[in-house]
Amino acid sequence: MTQASAFETDFWKDANLRKVWDEIVPGEPRKTIPYKLTLEAIQLYCRSVGEDHPLYFDEAYAKTTSYGGLIAPPSIHILLMFACTPTDDWMRTPGTINAGQSWSYNKPARPGDTITLQARALDKFIKRERLFVVHDNVFFNQHGDVICSGRGQTIRPA
Amino acid sequence: MSTSFEELAVGDTINGPKFDVSRESIRLFCDGSLDYNPLHLDDDYMKNSFGKTNFGGIIMHGMNNFGLITRMLTDWAYPAGAIQRRLETRWLKPVKPGDTITPVGVVKSKQSTQKSRWVLIDVLVRNQRDEHVAAGEAMVEFPLSGSTVA
Repeated sequence: MTQASAFETDFWKDANLRKVWDEIVPGEPRKTIPYKLTLEAIQLYCRSVGEDHPLYFDEAYAKTTSYGGLIAPPSIHILLMFACTPTDDWMRTPGTINAGQSWSYNKPARPGDTITLQARALDKFIKRERLFVVHDNVFFNQHGDVICSGRGQTIRPA
Repeated sequence: MSTSFEELAVGDTINGPKFDVSRESIRLFCDGSLDYNPLHLDDDYMKNSFGKTNFGGIIMHGMNNFGLITRMLTDWAYPAGAIQRRLETRWLKPVKPGDTITPVGVVKSKQSTQKSRWVLIDVLVRNQRDEHVAAGEAMVEFPLSGSTVA
């Protein structure tokens, strides 16, 4: 649980520093931080959705597969999104509602990888009085390989 | 019991795992995903309305659906040597503690391209009342034999 204890879990902290919908500039890069993805973090995420495939847990098995070793499930970007962004990032704003996501997967993330994120808002709009932001995210490993890329929409607190 | 691209047919079903949602499962997802938004933690906060919506209590992370759909797809794809390449989802209804959700996939189409083969799958997550809580589409690659994956 070292990941969780080092991480600021009070999303109200620094809430006043975060950009509101009005201040979010589409096209402007978000501040991101490199993150060392540990086996422990992968397996904690796995347990939270009931993932039990041996590719995530059994190194001896994983070595016999075409992956050649342990990997993370594709959906690990759910964790990486918060792990690679600072506490004043607007994705943490309390009341942020996820309205949909699409992700493309290239290479699997692996335990020990140092993950970096390139992210920005791509668009923002108002629909039925709700404040939407479209975000665009790409995760890379330490070799510069794309792990996955995705687009999401959130509804911002008014 | 693995699937091959040749044998797959439009309409084939992929049955996903049943998932019991509780305050504990939501809390564990907070720790697993590092998403500690009070939507998922704070009952007092959830007495507020969000625009026109009042959820009446904490709700499950939408991305918990996404993770569960992924688990269904990869558990189906790995034994066939196939790779999950894309997943698009949208949320239709909030999921709350006490709900049981189950994802399902239905093969929508198959397509060969210059260098590989692809299967498009409609995905859906239902709750115990048979209501649709999430829907989307996935794309799984079935590499030509002899090509290397990963």
